[in-house]
Amino acid sequence: MAEQAQRRAPQGQSQQDPPNENDNHAFEELRHLIIAPEQEEIADIQHRLEDWQRRAQDLSSVVAEAIKLRREQGDDRALADALAPTIEETLRDSVRKHPHVLADALFPVMGPAIRKSITETLRSMLESFNEALEHSLSWRGIKWRIEALRTGRSFTEIALLHSLVYRVEQVFLIHHETGLVLNHLTAPAVAAQDPAMVAGMLTAIQQFAQGGFNTQGDEALDNLGLGEFRIWIEAGPHAVIAAAFRGHAPEDYRLHMREVLEGIEQHYATAFDNFKGDTDPFRGVEDRLAPLLEERSREAEDPGKRKPRMLITVSAIFLAAIVGWTIYVSYRVHQWTQFELALRQQSGIVVTSVAKEGGRYHVRGFRDPLAPDPKALLTKLGLTPENADFQLAPFYSMDDGIVLKRIKVLLKPPASVTLSMKDGVLVAEGAASPQWIARLRDRATWVAGVRELDDSKLQDANILALKGAKSSVESIVFLFPLGIATLEPGQDQKLALAQKNIQEIVAQATALSETVQVEVVGHTDNTGVEATNLPLSKQRADQITKALILAGVKTSSFRPRGVGTLQPLRTDDTDEGRQLNRSVTFQVDISPVTP
Amino acid sequence: MIQKKICMLGSFSVGKTSMVRRFVESIFSEKYHTTIGVKVDKKVVHVNDEDVSLILWDIYGEDAFQKILMSYLRGMSGYLLVVDGTRRATYDAALALNDKVTQAMGNIPFVLLLNKCDLVQQWEIEADTDKTLAARGWQVLRTSAKTGENVEQAFSQLAQATLVK
Repeated sequence: MAEQAQRRAPQGQSQQDPPNENDNHAFEELRHLIIAPEQEEIADIQHRLEDWQRRAQDLSSVVAEAIKLRREQGDDRALADALAPTIEETLRDSVRKHPHVLADALFPVMGPAIRKSITETLRSMLESFNEALEHSLSWRGIKWRIEALRTGRSFTEIALLHSLVYRVEQVFLIHHETGLVLNHLTAPAVAAQDPAMVAGMLTAIQQFAQGGFNTQGDEALDNLGLGEFRIWIEAGPHAVIAAAFRGHAPEDYRLHMREVLEGIEQHYATAFDNFKGDTDPFRGVEDRLAPLLEERSREAEDPGKRKPRMLITVSAIFLAAIVGWTIYVSYRVHQWTQFELALRQQSGIVVTSVAKEGGRYHVRGFRDPLAPDPKALLTKLGLTPENADFQLAPFYSMDDGIVLKRIKVLLKPPASVTLSMKDGVLVAEGAASPQWIARLRDRATWVAGVRELDDSKLQDANILALKGAKSSVESIVFLFPLGIATLEPGQDQKLALAQKNIQEIVAQATALSETVQVEVVGHTDNTGVEATNLPLSKQRADQITKALILAGVKTSSFRPRGVGTLQPLRTDDTDEGRQLNRSVTFQVDISPVTP
Repeated sequence: MIQKKICMLGSFSVGKTSMVRRFVESIFSEKYHTTIGVKVDKKVVHVNDEDVSLILWDIYGEDAFQKILMSYLRGMSGYLLVVDGTRRATYDAALALNDKVTQAMGNIPFVLLLNKCDLVQQWEIEADTDKTLAARGWQVLRTSAKTGENVEQAFSQLAQATLVK
């Protein structure tokens, strides 16, 4: 304090006395003592402001807090506007120089986006497929046919006209700023105007729409339409793609345009930056634009839409072929099984083995010559004989059926004879000539398979005929009126029949070394007395005998006799019975010739 | 082929469309002038041993009632500034328009055409206007859409200028 007081003393003194050198020094010292700390602080601050590294260091600690504070104040729009150009430029440079960095960052969201796009595309495809199926036999299809008939155009033309979804006819790649056409593609058979002028005019119309309606920001005309003709426009930073098409393109197509445009923007970034009207650097861009020249119709959607239908059809045909083949093979196997069963049951054939090799059946065994041909059996069952090989050795079958055939072949029985076989016994029935019967008896047991002959029911045909004739004659009845021996009229035919049959009997009996006696028996009814009836009956018998002899029948064959009422044909109780008893009948007696 | 966007500027009825109609390829109707204010045509010129395709934006003449859409000028490589020598007002309007363009888009090559030189006796502008403007370093040509005088030259000269730049 004493020292400070001493220093203040000269300071107070200076107001009165001129300052000397010592005073100045003291003053400086005093000043230094008073303001030196503040000066040092100011210098430090000045140094910090001038040193950009320290300044950046200071700012870095508050930038985040400042942005947060600005956002909390609700004025982030200005901040976003201020940062947007820098961020956009940074992103552009980053994508251009290191595209993989952004690609890696976007990777997690690209998968879901692609999946969503594919799902949407598949859904659209399915709808179109259903529509195509619906049209094939739908009322609309019938209407198209009627329209084709009415207009004289082909059904295909009408269907194509109605079913065309869209067809992209032209694709333009246009420089965004100048409106100059960088490239242009045209679909086949499309007449196009000068693309440079069209592109220019398109750009002019866009700019007119933008300027005329005071649109904001990036809003731009992206769709022009005239009837079924449309132009879709997709704009990028440097280029614009315009697709001119007819019909109704799906929204997917716009996405496709966008993808192509992004690819071009990225690939030709340098060319865009240096563009001064020379389109040569864009020559290769056709490859990228070409896929945009799409054409899609309802029936002929892109191949993916047809695949399900085609797949179903092919699968159905394939399945039907497999089923058909299986059925066919099963049927053929069944047929063969049936054949094999029938062959094994066939008389005269013994199957020892059946094998299938190389698609052919090989049958081995024995076959009687009289057994049926197995190939004929195959054909009968619908099988192909060429697919079977038979190796059947000949043998004599003891089967009754075959034995019977063998007998018939050897003995040739007449039609009146029936032969049958049972357990080795040959049974002959019917009638045959004595010669054939003799041959049968002589040879039957010689035939292989015939153990015994049963001909008890086989009759001599001649004797049988003789008996028939005898029976016929004995059934003839000549009728006479009451009390006389004269034939009633109208019996000439009976007489002729009797004559014929008796002559045949005589002839056959002679051939058989038999003798024939024909008793001509006269009858009467019980009218009158026996003393008159008996002679009357004899007269009647004589009358008939005489008539037959006159007709040429041998005399010795007849023996007429009268029996009166003793052997009446009927009872005499009725007129009919009495009439029948007034008659003559025959009794034929055939007996061997006595030596 | 090199393409250049060229705008044709000038007041109403100075002869821009007549020039285009006679000397360039055109596919669009002139109705576009009155609907959207511009019609795009094409003119191919041979400059420096190569063909240059000039895509001409024939912009509807500016008058008191209609202002040109400045966006139509975006990206142009050059312009033809057309004046009708027989109407002084078109000359003044052209100079004003040129200032406006320069202000908006910077210095872009252009050729000033003093049109209707076939009617030079009726001109309302000074006879040495071309020399006066040329002294400013401008390219100036006297043209006649009616006779075709200097029309081809105008396109070629502008094309040449755009290539130099």
